Amino acid sequence: MTDEFRTSFQLAWHVVVRNWVVYRKDFLANISPTLADPALMLTALGMGLSPFIGEIGGLSYAQYLAPGMVATTALFTAFFESSYGFYVKMTFESVFKAMLTTPIGVKEVVIGEFLWGYIRAAMMGGTVGIFLLFMGLLSNPWAVFAFPVISGLLAVPCGAIGLLASAMVRNINQFQTVYSFLIAPIFYLSGVFFPLGDRPVLSVIVQFSPFYHGVRLLQLSAWGQWHPGEIAWHLGLLLAFTAGLGYWAYRKVQKILTT
Amino acid sequence: MVGRCAAEAPVVLALCLSVPTIGRVSIAPDTPAAAVSDAEPVIVARAVAKKFGDFAALQGLDLEVKRGECVGLLGPNGAGKSTFIGCLYGAVLRTGGDLRVFGYDPAENPRKIKERLGVVPQENALDEGLTVMENMRLYARFEGVDKKAALPRIQDLLAHMSLDHKKEAPIKTLSGGMKRRLAFVRALLSDPEVLILDEPTTGLDPAVRHLLWEKVISYRQAGKTVMVTTHYMHEAEILCDRIIILNRGIVVGAGAPRALIDQETPGFVATFGHDLEEQIKAELQTGWELFHQGRQCCVRAPRIDDLLALQQTLGATALQLRPSNLEDVYLKLTGRELDDND
Repeated sequence: MTDEFRTSFQLAWHVVVRNWVVYRKDFLANISPTLADPALMLTALGMGLSPFIGEIGGLSYAQYLAPGMVATTALFTAFFESSYGFYVKMTFESVFKAMLTTPIGVKEVVIGEFLWGYIRAAMMGGTVGIFLLFMGLLSNPWAVFAFPVISGLLAVPCGAIGLLASAMVRNINQFQTVYSFLIAPIFYLSGVFFPLGDRPVLSVIVQFSPFYHGVRLLQLSAWGQWHPGEIAWHLGLLLAFTAGLGYWAYRKVQKILTT
Repeated sequence: MVGRCAAEAPVVLALCLSVPTIGRVSIAPDTPAAAVSDAEPVIVARAVAKKFGDFAALQGLDLEVKRGECVGLLGPNGAGKSTFIGCLYGAVLRTGGDLRVFGYDPAENPRKIKERLGVVPQENALDEGLTVMENMRLYARFEGVDKKAALPRIQDLLAHMSLDHKKEAPIKTLSGGMKRRLAFVRALLSDPEVLILDEPTTGLDPAVRHLLWEKVISYRQAGKTVMVTTHYMHEAEILCDRIIILNRGIVVGAGAPRALIDQETPGFVATFGHDLEEQIKAELQTGWELFHQGRQCCVRAPRIDDLLALQQTLGATALQLRPSNLEDVYLKLTGRELDDND
């Protein structure tokens, strides 16, 4: 069993290496949008709106917004990589047709994609975190060490949603629908831009979004709020979503890649 | 085949227009037949079935491939060749029957099989953005080739396929023939015991085709097992000890190429224009067959002299006069040869 686990992990790691080799070829083009978007948002909304909004729970609006930018980077990195990115590899580039003739199986492909999603989101989330630190937007500077870990944890279930979409769409244009009706609402309504405290209905709905739990964990760490009960709740649900969505995505992708 | 035809009737040699020149490739089997017949089977299929919804792609396929054999799978598009190949390494999950590769069930233990199998799929599926070396290094890793051993192995294989001058070239700059050769290199990285070739030479020019044939033959000389699907009968005759013809998901004929020809379509074939059909019908003798290939009218007779005499009677020279070949067997068994009543 341990041997099987080790072999499977090694094979999944090869998938990560393959993605890294392709990714680094176009490094600048690959990292720019996921870093530029949160930086722009922070400038336009954080700096622009701060004077009008005043404080939220003792934080300036830019400080309020800051951890959400880490979450945003992680969400978009994970979703675009596992939707458009995976779909292109699967259909137009036939990457898996050849890969699956080697000892690598569908399980390793999916685990490899999740590992890759974790690593990429950790890298990007960490980078945004350092940027926030230099901007003086972190009440708890130590949060920069927690950001990569939480970004990765947040990225895996969001990546699973992307993989599910890849397995279900009939053509590449349909990702736009998934984005408009699922990812965009998750993004705008999960507490990144405004606190959900006094909105009882929305507060309940967002519990079903893994993104929300990641956002909360990032916010708690960035703002230096140590609430063990709340941390356990969000972390627990984030891991539960990771397991549930991850397994579902694996089954769906397996059906697509083996006939 | 050419030798036998020449021994029977020297005049035929000049008339064997349809038998392509074999050139540099030897057609002699490289593994003695007796050794193969005693060898253990590496692939055993019993009543293998595969349904895609209502469509039955494989309907109870029975076949066996022994170690050291080269087996050709022939059949029209949609006959189930690629589906069966997919079943061998778990890319396609069969819906019935029993299948064993190296004794393992590919539906349950694909990795054990894939560790010992090299596959050249119909599509090259190379990473277009990467260079030749980057692609091969990644695949050596996937195949579990030891890091130190990988580089010399890749270099040897690239040189063997005349690709060593393209090491740093991005895949998208390679020609179709180069990409195909690289797909061969990829399949051979782990020095597999069994090589599976799914239409390996479709769309390639004759020079590349000959090069790949030579590689397959030298690979076989090393005692390896090969399974190849192809639409080229000549390729099947050159490479394979045994041919299995599929039609609509079942085996309709199997045997050594020469034995299949002798069994299914023995004799010689003369091809005439369709305008002579009525006259030919009048001259048909017992044991002769009349059939059509395209708009041409063909007569199959046991002896070459029968056809030479027919030419004289008709006062016309045949468009083609040749010994029966694998294509005749293929067309007959897959029902693509239309007989006189159709």
